[in-house]
Amino acid sequence: MIAIDTGGTFTDCVYISEGQLRVLKIFSTPADPSLAVTAPLATIHPGATPQIRHGTTVGTNTVLERNGARVAFVTTAGFEDTIAIGRQARARLYDWFAPAPDCLVPAELRFGIPERVSVEGKILRAPTDAELATLVEQIRAAPPELSPEAIAISLLFSFANPETERRVEAALRPLGLPISTSHRILPEFREYERASTTVVNAYLSPRMGSYLSHLEGHVSQWQAGSHIEVMQSSGGTIPARLAAQEPVRTILSGPAGGVIGACQVARWAGFDRVIGLDMGGTSTDVFLADSSAGPQRTRESLIDGVPVSVHMLDIHTIGAGGGSLARFDAGGMLHVGPESAGADPGPICFGRGTRPTVTDANLLLGRLDPSTFLGGSVHLDRSRAERIFHDQKGPLITAEALAAGMLRVVETNMEKAIRVISVERGYDPRQFTLIAFGGGGPLHACSLARALEIPVVIVPTMPGALSAVGILLADAVRDYSRTVMLHADRIDQIESIFFELELHAVEEFSAQPSEAIPERSLDLRYRGQGYELNVPFDPRHPKHSIQAFHQLHQQRYGFSDPRRPVEVVNVRLRMSAPAEPYTPPFREPRPGNGSSACYAERDIFYDGEFIRSRLYHRDQLHPGDILHGPTMITEYTSATILLPACTARVDGYGNLIVAIPEKTA
Amino acid sequence: MKPERLRPDSIDLAVFQSALHSIAEEMGAALRRTALSPNIKERRDYSCAVFDSAARVIAMGDHMPVHLGSLPMSVRAAVDAVSFAPGDIAVLNDPYAGGTHLPDITMVLPVFLPGADSPAFYVSNRAHHADVGGTFPGSMGPAREIYQEGLRIPPVRIVRAGEIEREVLDLILLNVRTSGERKGDLESQIGSCRVGERRMVELAEKYGEDQRHILIDELLDHSERLVRAELCKMPAGIFTAEDWMDNEGVTDSPHKIAVALHLNPEEASLLIDFTGSSPQVAGSINAVRAITLSACFYMLRCLLAEDAPATAGILRPLTLRTAPGTIVDALPPAPVAAGNVETSQRIVDVLLRALAQAVPDRVPAASAGTMSNLTIGGIDPRTGEPFTYYETTAGGMGARPSLDGISGVHTHMTNSLNTPIEALEHAYPFRVRRYGYRPSSGGAGRFKGGDGLIREIELLAEAQVTLLADRRKFRPYGLEGGEEGAPGCAWVMPSENKAQMDLPGKSTRLLSSGDILHLETPGGGGWGTPQKS
Repeated sequence: MIAIDTGGTFTDCVYISEGQLRVLKIFSTPADPSLAVTAPLATIHPGATPQIRHGTTVGTNTVLERNGARVAFVTTAGFEDTIAIGRQARARLYDWFAPAPDCLVPAELRFGIPERVSVEGKILRAPTDAELATLVEQIRAAPPELSPEAIAISLLFSFANPETERRVEAALRPLGLPISTSHRILPEFREYERASTTVVNAYLSPRMGSYLSHLEGHVSQWQAGSHIEVMQSSGGTIPARLAAQEPVRTILSGPAGGVIGACQVARWAGFDRVIGLDMGGTSTDVFLADSSAGPQRTRESLIDGVPVSVHMLDIHTIGAGGGSLARFDAGGMLHVGPESAGADPGPICFGRGTRPTVTDANLLLGRLDPSTFLGGSVHLDRSRAERIFHDQKGPLITAEALAAGMLRVVETNMEKAIRVISVERGYDPRQFTLIAFGGGGPLHACSLARALEIPVVIVPTMPGALSAVGILLADAVRDYSRTVMLHADRIDQIESIFFELELHAVEEFSAQPSEAIPERSLDLRYRGQGYELNVPFDPRHPKHSIQAFHQLHQQRYGFSDPRRPVEVVNVRLRMSAPAEPYTPPFREPRPGNGSSACYAERDIFYDGEFIRSRLYHRDQLHPGDILHGPTMITEYTSATILLPACTARVDGYGNLIVAIPEKTA
Repeated sequence: MKPERLRPDSIDLAVFQSALHSIAEEMGAALRRTALSPNIKERRDYSCAVFDSAARVIAMGDHMPVHLGSLPMSVRAAVDAVSFAPGDIAVLNDPYAGGTHLPDITMVLPVFLPGADSPAFYVSNRAHHADVGGTFPGSMGPAREIYQEGLRIPPVRIVRAGEIEREVLDLILLNVRTSGERKGDLESQIGSCRVGERRMVELAEKYGEDQRHILIDELLDHSERLVRAELCKMPAGIFTAEDWMDNEGVTDSPHKIAVALHLNPEEASLLIDFTGSSPQVAGSINAVRAITLSACFYMLRCLLAEDAPATAGILRPLTLRTAPGTIVDALPPAPVAAGNVETSQRIVDVLLRALAQAVPDRVPAASAGTMSNLTIGGIDPRTGEPFTYYETTAGGMGARPSLDGISGVHTHMTNSLNTPIEALEHAYPFRVRRYGYRPSSGGAGRFKGGDGLIREIELLAEAQVTLLADRRKFRPYGLEGGEEGAPGCAWVMPSENKAQMDLPGKSTRLLSSGDILHLETPGGGGWGTPQKS
């Protein structure tokens, strides 16, 4: 098994050879991502079960760059515009000049079919065959420059009765276009979010389809019988054939690998309640994983302003990265991000940027080591950064003050992001461990942990290839759901609905090599509420779900009432086939102080002053070594800052485990 | 070397402000996720804010702009009326004691730090409840006096020393049509206040008392500086404008809102004078002064960058002049339900019309200028229980200098979401027949006004239907030669063979099962002379 994760800069390839995880890092090829995906294969011996597991950015980039398919949208007649209207709210409350949101479906390609299903699922009006024929003609008659390349069908209440959607789909088949139907993609209530998710699927399907078939061609040339699995945003893989049909499930393919990888590495190290921090060049992703429930998931994601409501790992992204730009507002307050210098012009110290970035601030404060940054291959121009910081320091006295201020502001933004996924969801961050990766995560982790009173930070071994590791170790997963809207006193009827879903699932999963395990859960709410909480469902004890709901409501929102009627909104089934188990080699720690890895002493800025600090090469540390802050530990793609009074030890797997002292004040 | 900062808290301030804002947002999330009524949980018709010990607003969530200036008045009223002890929460909705209109119920929780005998902060939320009693289901009808608009609650304690005051709660619940839903929504407001309290206590632990005071003062000063920096760039002069409300729902005579904007860039200040506006009226379009202040707050806030903090400091450069007893400064017992939702929008329209003369390239043409408030109440035949539905429908946004207006989007003083059709039909005995853009309703112009919306709802039960809308006679204006947006309209298509029945802007009708209600909202005004094609 080989995992290949396409990233913005690098494509990482991870595989297991002789019990060891091997990593190959090559530069990505954005024009044709498959080049970088197939290149490393030449150097790897296929082995017995050649399976390629892939984390792809094709989905995300297609949405971000708005270069997906021309989609024809079919809905209940009278509701054609709903895909553009959205929810009527504006994204920016106080901005008179906010641009109109751009709908993925052009106005000319929104079609209505006369039909209606009631809230109970009764067909009140079915389209006639003549009306279906007319619809086919309307779509066919689109002018050539608007000729649709994919079709999305989302009718009102299709989750309650999919019959009419199926008929419309059958009628449109002869057009020979890929069709996405809402009852398959997301059979859940809220018509706009369901339609939007279905449209995104259609928007991605031609591109993802051709990308994956191209890739499969390459891979089967490399080794006959090999096949591709694609990482989904939910944290499990699906066969490429399914990913091509339901590409909307792969939008956060790479970041989901990061979550799974981080959780797995933390678990090996003995931590199972973790908050993840992945800081890259333009943004920072944060997520939370609790021991029993695993990584949190969400159904309320927005991808570049477009709602996508399939289950995804709850990855909260903010515009705070190494390239984030600083500015002072008219009142003199310092802001950092979300604008980013990006790859071009990049930070000042890379030679072209002209505005202060977080990377420049880290450099000026001694927190980047030019000699080890990307192996010393990039020249960092410190004096240029110093000069421009001095010119743009606003009301501050020195360039260092601006740099230190920028780090505080950007760390505050990250702290806020962590609060959103922890405190706002009812979790106390003090009971969690912070796992930091990506280029910038380890630089800021100690100081964030201190602010949030998180006692331990892990900087995993191979922080640059964590996504690929996660993809390699992920389970094969398929999610099914259905909105049922049942009173909880009829919870005993739920079993038959699960039975139906499972029949369907077993059919789809029969192609999987290993046995699939069903995981059943329910979305419950107090009758009348608008949001649900997901709790496990055990067919032998259906009522336990209701007790669990009351407890969870108390934990999340500070109140619960066992006398209040509860409603079952959605039934969820997750089929998962576990990945082959893998345990990384463990090297017995021996007491040490890492002195042989120490290569320099520098002044590094912490909490208002520069302090003389030792610099260590991470790859020369040994299990059992203990280092004391103030210290910086450098490696190829990243560097870890240990604040004064923090202590790091290298565990048997090569992770840095940092203890954050309790506040003494 | 230890760097010094000229203004000691340029960065501390950003950190502090960010923490306060996230607390207001967290309160909103807690409210939304636990409330029962679609108007709160789906449409997010609520606001949350944090106040200092002097009841000055120091952070507001990005919720409903109409509450910007009025929520602080509620907190002030509660602080004046109630001698708070730890664990208390006050409730109020009286528009004449810091409220806006009766359906907006506000809660105020004083945050006591350990060992302190007076509050260090207040946290507050306000939510629009779908019914608070009165003559018309939904409490948004064409009333003549405030007594017909529902239960009026002065600032009283609904939670005392941590325990819900059952007597107060029962008094409220007995006076409203949908008591179960109200109880759930009130409980979720209480929960949200407690979330805010917990977080404020945690935040306070990080700062000493002196440091807190310095930061709060600096935060307010900062907002003030941002506004003054904008005012400095304005031309000096007095800019006047007026616009009209169609009628008040009792007679058909129009009512004027007039403003004079006195811009003084040298002092970086402004005086806003509404004294030429019409006297208060017998219908519900009267706005209390808090609403007029909110509209001014909103205009000032929009001149700043999107991430500028909305605090009490924004209002410091402003002098607001209103004449008591007018429709922009109503006195009891004038009814006020539409003042909050309709007149508030017109006040913004008038302010922007005046501002456009000073800075034409910074101001959009008039947006729909009405929230087209629809309330429907009756008995749900599926359950035998009473229901009350409330929803506003967006219209077109006015065209901007350089950009067309957006179609079908909430503008200015509101920013609620629509209720999903699939949630609506689950909760109420309705069937939505049509929902889409209203073609060609936006005003023509070099930049075109956004189009309004069309919505058709079929009733599946007999119900009292009440509409509160405006911009039927006086259309949304264009600017710089742009044309007006189309006016709104509504009618009923009866189920039986009866003639189509027009629904005036402010009206209430008892309709039968099978009747179809057809609503069209106004388009936005155009900007710039239309180019001949």
